[in-house]
Amino acid sequence: MPNVKISGNSAIAFDGTAPTLLTALEQHKLQVNFHCRQGYCGACRCKLLQGEVQYLNEPLAFVRKGEFLPCCSIPLTDIEIEIP
Amino acid sequence: MAYTTFNRQINDQLKEPMFFGNPVNISRYDQQKYGIFEKLIEKQLSFFWRPEEVDVSKDRIDYQNLPEHEKHIFISNLKYQTLLDSVQGRSPNVAFLPIVSLPELETWIETWAFSETIHSRSYTHIVRNISAEPHKVFDDIMLNEKILQRAEDVTRYYDALIDGVNLYQRCGEGNHTINGESQNISLYELKRRLYLCVMSVNVLEAIRFYVSFACSFAFAERELMEGNAKIIRLIARDEALHLTGTQHMLNIMAAGDDDPQMAQIAKECEEEAYAIFRKAAEQEKDWAEFLFKDGSMIGLNKDILCQYVEYITNSRMQAIGLKPIFSTTQNPIPWINTWLVSDNVQVAPQEAEISSYLVGQIDNEVDGGDFGDFDL
Repeated sequence: MPNVKISGNSAIAFDGTAPTLLTALEQHKLQVNFHCRQGYCGACRCKLLQGEVQYLNEPLAFVRKGEFLPCCSIPLTDIEIEIP
Repeated sequence: MAYTTFNRQINDQLKEPMFFGNPVNISRYDQQKYGIFEKLIEKQLSFFWRPEEVDVSKDRIDYQNLPEHEKHIFISNLKYQTLLDSVQGRSPNVAFLPIVSLPELETWIETWAFSETIHSRSYTHIVRNISAEPHKVFDDIMLNEKILQRAEDVTRYYDALIDGVNLYQRCGEGNHTINGESQNISLYELKRRLYLCVMSVNVLEAIRFYVSFACSFAFAERELMEGNAKIIRLIARDEALHLTGTQHMLNIMAAGDDDPQMAQIAKECEEEAYAIFRKAAEQEKDWAEFLFKDGSMIGLNKDILCQYVEYITNSRMQAIGLKPIFSTTQNPIPWINTWLVSDNVQVAPQEAEISSYLVGQIDNEVDGGDFGDFDL
């Protein structure tokens, strides 16, 4: 069960009850911007400070190094992220 | 270099830059420099929809019952969107196709502009339904001061690029005297105009549309003008994709691997890029003031809409590597996200190659109970 640490917040566990990281964050009442939830608009873009994520669908939106889209990904390892 | 519809020069398309290389000869997609553009094309095609699929007949009754100041909000937004999509339905083709050098990007531009023409047709569909005199609505667009003011900034960068490219393709680089007027044309200057043009298109699709979207969805949150909201939802979905397209172009340009000169230009134009964003945000705030001049609507007023403009401007700037210019960090209208989710697209597992298609677009039966869990 990978741990998701959020900068300035306590960590949450990705226990498999949420299909994506975005849903997991929302279940813990963490506000992340979103629009399409399919990886093509990039509205949910967050910073990936540590660890690795796996994309369920390859995102179409432009994703810079050190960023990731929580709407279409799950954590592979323990990760640390920053929500803008 | 003159434009030709079928460039005879045998070239390696993988070595061409996005723009200002050789004109495209064979539209081939077996090899691609930037595969992302084909993915965008496929996504856009999977989004295909027709305005006639959406029944807007109930909107007519809703519209007639709206108070005057809300009618003004609704119809003014529709007029402004009509202008924006009139420009977007033609300009990417006219401005970018004569200078594009990659087949996948060329086809993306065509696919992109085509989807904008669907948006234009959908506005007529909406206006025909709510008004017995649709011509009055459209005739007014060309006379409306507030709309024309913004049209100037929307079209300026396109026109400058098109004008320069025309001259370049006819006469090449150098000093030319055309009709007694002396003009200097350099490829570097044209690339600068191109960069600023893509930037201003990005702003158009990323910020300008969203003020209208917010109003349309605010009506629909009150179960008013729902046919219109369904259409706007489809338009918003397309626009999110177009926005991704221009963001990719800007980021590829700024990275410099494609054309080192473009990276230099991106650096030089940073100040101007900030100015384009700032001006667009200011204009949209002015527009919010005009919309609400006779009164607010439930759930939305001038201040909230202005905060939303600031919020969305910040987020769009960060997407292309610029720093946010406003202090707003929270979305003042979080309910808008629900309207922007593409949950009406379903993937059919029985298809050999999974492709997305639309469902539920023609379902007009909305029971009051369906909104039981909605809060205003």
